[in-house]
Amino acid sequence: MNLARLIVRNTARNGYRSGIIFCCSLLLAAMPFGITFLTEGGRAGLHSAMDRLGADLLVVPENLAVKVETALLTGKPFPVWMARENLNKVARVPGVAQVSPQLYLATLSGASCCSASEMFIMAYDPATDFTLRPWLAQNLGRDLATNEVLGGSQIYPSDLQGNLLVYGTQLHLKGNLAHSGTGLDRTLFMTFETAREVARMSATRAMQKLTIPANEISAVLVKLEPGADPWSVANYIEHENSDILAIQSPQMVQSTRKEFTGLMRIIVLVVVLVWLLSIAVAGLVFSLAAHERRRELGVLRALGSSRGFVLRLLLGEAVILALTGAASGIALCLAIAYWFHDAIVYFLNIPFLFPPPAVLFTLILGGVLIATLSVMTAAFFPIWRASRMEPAQAMRE
Amino acid sequence: MKPIAVLIIAMALLAGIVPHFTDCQSQGKAIELPNGKTLPMKCHWTTQAELTLAVPLALCGVFLGFRPANERRSELAMLTIVLGSFIALVPTVLIGVCAKSDMLCSAVMRPTLLVSGILAAGAGLFYLILDFRQGGSKP
Repeated sequence: MNLARLIVRNTARNGYRSGIIFCCSLLLAAMPFGITFLTEGGRAGLHSAMDRLGADLLVVPENLAVKVETALLTGKPFPVWMARENLNKVARVPGVAQVSPQLYLATLSGASCCSASEMFIMAYDPATDFTLRPWLAQNLGRDLATNEVLGGSQIYPSDLQGNLLVYGTQLHLKGNLAHSGTGLDRTLFMTFETAREVARMSATRAMQKLTIPANEISAVLVKLEPGADPWSVANYIEHENSDILAIQSPQMVQSTRKEFTGLMRIIVLVVVLVWLLSIAVAGLVFSLAAHERRRELGVLRALGSSRGFVLRLLLGEAVILALTGAASGIALCLAIAYWFHDAIVYFLNIPFLFPPPAVLFTLILGGVLIATLSVMTAAFFPIWRASRMEPAQAMRE
Repeated sequence: MKPIAVLIIAMALLAGIVPHFTDCQSQGKAIELPNGKTLPMKCHWTTQAELTLAVPLALCGVFLGFRPANERRSELAMLTIVLGSFIALVPTVLIGVCAKSDMLCSAVMRPTLLVSGILAAGAGLFYLILDFRQGGSKP
């Protein structure tokens, strides 16, 4: 019987022992892989949110910045209003190239006049918009007409004709933006004109009237002139207008990032503890197994097997269990992330995107390596001691 | 093979219990009609349907755990596969859940039922393969 066959048969023969090592290895791989995967997925989602917005600065009412950020990241609508005159004030700031107002609205909760409950609606001004128009020019070849809308990747029509019911008005869904892993995927985009038409018709068609305050807007998207310093412009805007806040694109998700980092620290601490425990259990099981199998190993030595052969045999068993356990742990993590990524977003309140393939491959490789090395480290000393045992002594004990 | 029977029972419990805490009705959400009456959303009907599938599935798990004769075991295994498949199909194809992915029924209930249905059907398939390999001999 060759070494490989002996390794496989030994591993299969003692299911209980192999099962424990397998589970330890599974935990050792799943824990670091899972946490890194979650962090990378969250980071990819946060970056995606900033990229999708396509503006250098977002100007919002000072006391509602966090609410706006949450709405953009999670798609949970929140009413935000500020005076329209802020648009002109911001446009006059040196360094500002373009400004575009936005209205943040929401459909009613569980009302039959809206085909989706509490859906985030973002209305834009087609005359000044610079975030959606490039997409429209490329994909539709024109701007949205009245009663035409654009959806995030998770906005679906409610009938076969591609219509959506919003405050009792039928709106035609003209297309969906690419998946971003953020609340923008669950957002409906429409022009100011459509929003006002929906508001006008809602008085007679909807269960509750949609009110858009005259001369008020929700936010201002700002595009800077080439070479303008976002920090200086943001400071200037805030200095000149005490009631508004200019959020720089890289800082758009700062508070979410802080919450996410705090949560991750706790999770990492738990993972490290479980990881250490798993290494200790794996070491203990290998130590007990080596002690239990001393007669068997003594017989092998007495039949002419070298110390190196016994060492390779035991290390081979450890490697097989470590690799299969690690692969299963990583597969389990990926399956959970695939099936439950919406639940992750729901409970952790963060955007989540699968990391790019190159990052994912590195994470998988790293997870397998960490688990295998950890099991080997835990197993090496008991295995080495067992392989050094004299045959006579091993069989007598 | 008792662990597999326990897995089937656990999946049946998941399919029967989890929807009752994750559908929109449990979150106080319902469709409000113009006349003021409320109508449950479709995740509520999925919850009801899942309960009717989970009870027989749990019974299949219990009977399979008592090591029945091979013929009976095959029948139970086939029933488990069918019930498991329907548990996965009800929230995805047959009835469905609410469309918005940020609603609890869509984020938690649908994947939970999908996974529990697939695992239950897989466990049934395991028993069926076991019987096939044993060639119909009595245990």
